[in-house]
Amino acid sequence: MRSLTLRLTLLTGLWVATGLGGAGWFVADIATRQIEAAFDARIGTVLDTVIAAATQGTDGRIRVAPLPAGTDFERPFSGAYWQVTRADGSVTTSRSLWDQTLPAGRTGHVGVLLRDIPGPRGSELRVAERDVVLLDASEPAHFSVALSTDAQRAEVDRLRRILIGVFALLGLGLVAGVAIQVVVGLAPLRVARRTLAEVRAGTRDRLGLAAPAEIAPLVAEVDALIEQNRATVERARAHVGNLAHALKTPIAVLRNALGVTPPDIGSARAEAASLERLVQHHLARARVTALTTATGMPEVSPLAVTEEVAAALRRLFTARDLTITVTGDARVRLRTDAQDLTEMLGNLMENACQWATAQVSVTVTGTADSVVIRVEDDGPGLPAGAEGSALARGGRLDEAAPGSGLGLAIVADLVALQGGDLALSRATTGGLRADLRLPRRGAG
Amino acid sequence: MRVLVVEDHATLAGQLRAALEEAHFVVDTAPDGEEALFLGETEPYDAVVLDLGLPRLDGLSVLRRWRSTGRAMPVLILTARDAWTEKVAGLNAGADDYLTKPFIMPELVARIQALVRRSHGQARPEISLGRLMVDTTGGRALLDGMPVKLTGLEYRMLAYLAHRAGQVVSKTELTEHLYAQDFDRDSNTLEVVVGRLRRKLGDGVIETLRGQGYRLIVPGA
Repeated sequence: MRSLTLRLTLLTGLWVATGLGGAGWFVADIATRQIEAAFDARIGTVLDTVIAAATQGTDGRIRVAPLPAGTDFERPFSGAYWQVTRADGSVTTSRSLWDQTLPAGRTGHVGVLLRDIPGPRGSELRVAERDVVLLDASEPAHFSVALSTDAQRAEVDRLRRILIGVFALLGLGLVAGVAIQVVVGLAPLRVARRTLAEVRAGTRDRLGLAAPAEIAPLVAEVDALIEQNRATVERARAHVGNLAHALKTPIAVLRNALGVTPPDIGSARAEAASLERLVQHHLARARVTALTTATGMPEVSPLAVTEEVAAALRRLFTARDLTITVTGDARVRLRTDAQDLTEMLGNLMENACQWATAQVSVTVTGTADSVVIRVEDDGPGLPAGAEGSALARGGRLDEAAPGSGLGLAIVADLVALQGGDLALSRATTGGLRADLRLPRRGAG
Repeated sequence: MRVLVVEDHATLAGQLRAALEEAHFVVDTAPDGEEALFLGETEPYDAVVLDLGLPRLDGLSVLRRWRSTGRAMPVLILTARDAWTEKVAGLNAGADDYLTKPFIMPELVARIQALVRRSHGQARPEISLGRLMVDTTGGRALLDGMPVKLTGLEYRMLAYLAHRAGQVVSKTELTEHLYAQDFDRDSNTLEVVVGRLRRKLGDGVIETLRGQGYRLIVPGA
C-alpha cells in the first residue's frame, strides 16, 4: 500500500466498521429487550383483567364478563385470546378463538408462566397463564391469555433497520472525514514536493517553506543539503581555479625553457618536478572534499586501519631491518572516512619508516572527545625549531625539495580539514614523535 | 634475468622495455590483464612490473590470482593511483613494491634490481666472489678490480649464476631466465657462452656438473 491516504482511510474504515457494528448490536439488543419487557407487562395486565372479570356460576361454569375496550376478544382470530381450563377438564374460551383451543398449559405452579406458541392462521402468540382459585370455587382453574406478537416483531425489525441505516451513515461520514483530514493534512508535503521540483528545475534557490512542525525539520534538512551541495560546488570551483593558477606558471616556464635553442633542460626538469608536486598536493586535497561534505560517516576502528597500513609498510620496507609495532585499544571507534584515515596514517608512518634506524611504534589511544594516534621513530628527529617549517603547506610547495616534508604537509592539511591537529615533538628515543589528534564527531 | 612488463600504454611499455634491457634484463611485455595472468603463470619471471588499470582484467586481480596459485616472483606495482588506500590494498594483495606515476626511470630500474637481489637472498648490489665481483647496478663484472669485457648475453648469464652462487643451475633454468618468451632457444648456444665466460674469467669460476647444469663456485665455501 503505497498511498498514505489510502492506507489511513482503509485502517479507519476497518476500525469504524468494527466499532459501529459492535455499538449497533448493543443498542439493538437493549431496545429489543425493552420492547419485549413492555409486551410481557401488557400481557400480564390483560391476564389480570381477564381473571378479575371471571366468575364461576352455580352450575360450575365460568363466565368472563365483557372486557373494556382495548383488547378485542370478540372478533374471531383478532390476535387476542383467553381460555380457562377447569380442574375437571372443561374449557371456556374467548369468542375470538372461535372453534379452536389454546394448547393445554402446565398447571400446579405458583405465579404467571410465559411462553411462545404458534397460534391460529400461522401467527405467533405469546401466552401468559396461571392457576387461580375463583370465589365460590373449590378447585383452581387454569387461566391463559394469548396475544399476537406480530406487531411487536414488526416494531423490532423497524428499529433494527433504522439503526443500521443511521450507523452506516455515521461510519461513512467518519471515513470520509478521515480521508479529507489526511488529504488536507498532507497538503504541506505536496507543497514541499512541488517546491523541491522547482529547486531542481532551477527556478528556486531553496525550499524556504513555513512548514508545520512535523515536517519543518525535513524542510530544514533539505535546505541544509542544498546549501552544502552549493558550498561543495563553490569549493570545487575555487579549487579548480587555484589549481589552474598554480599550474599555469610552471607550464609557461616549461614552454619557454623548451622554446629556446638549445633547450634549457635544467629548468624544464625543475618545472616538471614542480608540476608533479602541485598535482600530487591538489589531488590529496581533492580526496578530502568527500570527507567534509559526506553526511553520516561510518564508524571505523583506527587500530584496524593502522594495522593494515603497518602490514603494507612491512612489505614495502622488507629490505630494511625495521620493526613496526602497533599497540592500542581495539575498542576505540572513530566516525570518519577510512580512506582519509589511511591517507594520513600512510603518509605519517611511511615518513617514520624512512627516517627510522630500526624501530617505528604506533599507539592508538581514545579519550572522551578525540582519538590520538602517536607515531614514533628512532631516527635523527627534527632539528630544534624546525617543527613549523616541516608542516609548511600551500603556496610555497614549489620551493620544497623533493621528498622533504611534503607527506607531513599533506597530513597537516587533511587533519586540519577534519578539525583535528598534528603535533610534532621529540620522541624518547630521540627520533620524531608525531601526535595525530582526531576529534570524535557525534556518538563515538 | 627475465622481467615481465604489464602496461597497456604502448609508449610507456616501450620506454620500460628499453630501460630494463639497457640494464641487462630480458623483457616480455603484456598489454592486458589476461595475457599477463597467462604469462605469469607459465613463465619463470624474476620480477614483474605491474600496472593496475588494465584492460580485460585489472592488475590487482591478476596479482591476487598469481599469489593464490603460488607464484611468488617479486612484483612492483606501477600506477597513477597514489591514494594510500590503494597502496595498502596493493601491498596487502602481495605486491613487493609500489611506485606511482609519474616516476623516473632510473628509480624503477634500481627498485627492480633490488627486488631481484632480495628474492635471491642478496642484500647488496655488488656480489663479491673472491677475485670476481659482479656489480648488478652498473651491469658489469670486475676481476681483481679490473672491468671484464662481456657481451650482453655473457653478462646476463654471469649475473644469473652470481645471484644463485653456490647452487646448481640447470640448462633449462638458464635458458628460461636468459631468453625472452618468443626467442628461438638453442641449448648449444649456452655451452658456447659458458666456454667464452670461462676463457674471460679463468678456470675455477664456473663448474660444469654433467647432466645437471652449472654452478658458480663460492671461494672458501
